[in-house]
Amino acid sequence: MEINSFNYFLDPSKRIYWVFIFSSLFIALIFLLIKPNYRKVNFSRALWFHPSALLDYCYFLFSAIIKGLILVPIIIGAKEVALLVNKLLIVSFGFQRINSFSYTEIMIMFTLSLFLISDFTRYWLHRFMHKVEWLWELHKVHHSAKVLNPLTLYRVHPIESLLFGFRYSLSVGIVSGVFIYLFGSLINIYDILGVNIISYFFLLLGSNLRHSHIPLSYPIKVEALFISPRQHQIHHSKEHSNYNFGGFLAIWDLLFKTLIFSNSVEKIKIGITKSEMGNYKSILNLLFYPFIAVIRNTKKKLNRF
Amino acid sequence: MKYIFSILFFFVIFHVNASGDNLYQKVLITNAKLAHEASKSLIIALNKNNKIPKKEFKNLVIRWKKVEAIYILSSLDDKYIDTPWYLDMFHGKNENIKVQLNRIIESEENIVKALYKNSHKTINALEYVLYTHDLDNPRVKDIALLISRAMENRFLEILNGYIINENEFLKDNKIGSALLLNSLVESSYKLKEWRVGDVAGITRKYKGKPDNTRSEYYLSGNSVEAIKAILEAHKQIINSNQYEDFSDFAKNYNANKEIALTIKWLNNSFQILSKIKNDNLTGDLAKEFYQSSTNLQNGYYSSLMNKLNFVAKILDADGD
Repeated sequence: MEINSFNYFLDPSKRIYWVFIFSSLFIALIFLLIKPNYRKVNFSRALWFHPSALLDYCYFLFSAIIKGLILVPIIIGAKEVALLVNKLLIVSFGFQRINSFSYTEIMIMFTLSLFLISDFTRYWLHRFMHKVEWLWELHKVHHSAKVLNPLTLYRVHPIESLLFGFRYSLSVGIVSGVFIYLFGSLINIYDILGVNIISYFFLLLGSNLRHSHIPLSYPIKVEALFISPRQHQIHHSKEHSNYNFGGFLAIWDLLFKTLIFSNSVEKIKIGITKSEMGNYKSILNLLFYPFIAVIRNTKKKLNRF
Repeated sequence: MKYIFSILFFFVIFHVNASGDNLYQKVLITNAKLAHEASKSLIIALNKNNKIPKKEFKNLVIRWKKVEAIYILSSLDDKYIDTPWYLDMFHGKNENIKVQLNRIIESEENIVKALYKNSHKTINALEYVLYTHDLDNPRVKDIALLISRAMENRFLEILNGYIINENEFLKDNKIGSALLLNSLVESSYKLKEWRVGDVAGITRKYKGKPDNTRSEYYLSGNSVEAIKAILEAHKQIINSNQYEDFSDFAKNYNANKEIALTIKWLNNSFQILSKIKNDNLTGDLAKEFYQSSTNLQNGYYSSLMNKLNFVAKILDADGD
């Protein structure tokens, strides 16, 4: 159980693993060498010591404890889901075993399936967080950040973390259960330090820049496939928060018509509406304001009836 | 420094090979060899007199089940995929060989031509011929001998197959252990569903309709012995102190607890089985055994899950 947030920097399954931080930093420095006009803002004290950034740092320390002590023990593990799925398949269809694929072929299929299904479910849960009223109240905690930095990733309400935890367990558990049913013990993934090799490379290629002020964009054809840091920054803007829900891949946004390219947006204003920003200024605000908002919205609805 | 690394490297290579070598040689090759020898002993006994070679047939059943329970040769070499089906048709094709064999015994056709199907030369066909017909009839005896010789050839094929493919197994410890675990999972499923559940009337297909005639070796009364042999093959893989076995390998991915529990269920299954008398698989003990072998199978799945340690992790690439 991880309650010491500093261990996040040493854990390859975390996005702020030191290797990913350094690779992002490296990419950022190259970007700033090429585009010097972005140096001022990125090296400014105002960015890194902005009240919103300070709140991100404090909340990060606090949320690790909440996650470790309360959330992780509640979340049913992917292992249990996989065993259950395998059991259900055996009961429903009898024992099956496919022997026509090699170990390498099964590994490629499993690695790819895990990545695709996980990214797909992430897209949909993220979209629901925006579209369902009470979920949006929770997700506003994340979007209330006025400035972005890699720790903004952890500025998430505990209930949202819980939902994403269930999403992970279900998607990985179901895929694993189906593969175990079909191939038994021959399943394995291509990994680097225990992380799916595809995810690892995406994380290495500057995933931390999504929450930063480095507006790194890709050519349009690439942005139709992979979400660029700039596309995610656009998602954090007030006007375009209902676009670019994708995690690593942009194909889901493209397929479900929520994709917006970097070159179609010039200036962005990060955050939510000015009137709402004031509700998310402390850790207590981040934790409890969503409940107040949900109750208020519900009351309003009831009064209308 | 270079020397130290070289020595360490060779030590590791030797150690890995030696461990695989032991299990492969001491279990897979030895079991195949013993099955082959059992088939030869049966032929000798058949040639000696006209009595049913009960002891030799029982020995053949035991030796064969040990080979079948952990049969991984088909995964090492495609050529051997169908070999088990040429030897054993329990739960295989839905054909009534009893009627066909009766017809062949009663006819005067050349037996080599008459026994043209693979199913005619299986252990099940042999059991039927030996235990329902009179060996004093020369045609019956010739048929029994022909089946036994065909089986002997198949066992030799398996033995040679294992010898030829030894390097294929040893070249990757991970794949080798995965194949073994797969064979254990599959065998534990068939054990509980086909060999016990169907007979005891527990499975969906035969719910509430127990019938001993469904047991694997009903005619010779060797069904419980066959089950015991299967469990012994499992024990050879997961609980041996003579060579590095699967449980030793499982320690590499922290499945000690799961394997220990699996061994517990395996021992429990042995205990229940020892109480079953007269090959009766329809009573309460059979139901108890079914539950225990279900736990055994679950134990294998839990061990398997530990191999996938990434599954237990909750990645935090969320909250975007």
